[in-house]
Amino acid sequence: MTSRPGLDCTHAPDRAAPTEDGIRLLVDRFYAKVRDDAALGPVFARAIAEDGWPAHLATMCDFWSSLMLTSGRYHGNPVAVHKRLDGVTPALFERWLALFAETCGELFDEELAAVFLDKARRVATSLQLALFYRPEHDRPRAAP
Amino acid sequence: MTFVVTENCIKCKYMDCVEVCPVDCFYEGENMLVIHPDECIDCGVCEPECPAEAIFADTEPGLDSWLKLNAQYAETWPNIAVKRDPPEDATAFDGAPNKFEEYFSPAPGQGDAPEEPKATPPTSPPSNP
Repeated sequence: MTSRPGLDCTHAPDRAAPTEDGIRLLVDRFYAKVRDDAALGPVFARAIAEDGWPAHLATMCDFWSSLMLTSGRYHGNPVAVHKRLDGVTPALFERWLALFAETCGELFDEELAAVFLDKARRVATSLQLALFYRPEHDRPRAAP
Repeated sequence: MTFVVTENCIKCKYMDCVEVCPVDCFYEGENMLVIHPDECIDCGVCEPECPAEAIFADTEPGLDSWLKLNAQYAETWPNIAVKRDPPEDATAFDGAPNKFEEYFSPAPGQGDAPEEPKATPPTSPPSNP
């Protein structure tokens, strides 16, 4: 397959190092996949109105710029935002990560894609702990 | 999963970490900072920014007491997301031994901004004469 809709080859990202251009391409392409995805699409559609997407994509560029380039541009509370969402499940986090890995693999070399994915996995784990973790489930079962 | 501020922050408090944190999860004591474990998203951006190398992932061994201290004081100390000048003697204390026993202060720091006065202060007389 050579056709890659959405990828403007005149602004191909640096495949080896994180850049603002690379982050924008990643964010645009990844969320296009998310919105088309049978599992993730409806969840995002409920959370973000059609006219809210440009602002959301800009926020996500700031977020990834803060994580990968320590730009300090994003300041927010993603734990609180995700706690407000309906219908979020661990399986959706896995689907999110799979699409993110796929997109990173299309745009970046293996090493850089792994750095992005490592960050994404760590954040996903933290968000899931915040959303789903119940300390009482840690208790050892009572002896019979 | 969270990152944890440990002993060498005490009396150094360089505050480089607070500017890069995307989720503003640092809280300021009189002479050190802590991370709120329920707000940290484990992104790791702060760790290499700390000149005192005082920030570690909670997956490192032996950090239980520091994790508890971070969780405890993050509840009461004020939030800080804007870096100020570090203490003038920060460099002298960088790497000093036994900083927790000798210098740890449970007192809160100043945080980002002084408390803004309420828009409509109560008109009742002060309770103390």
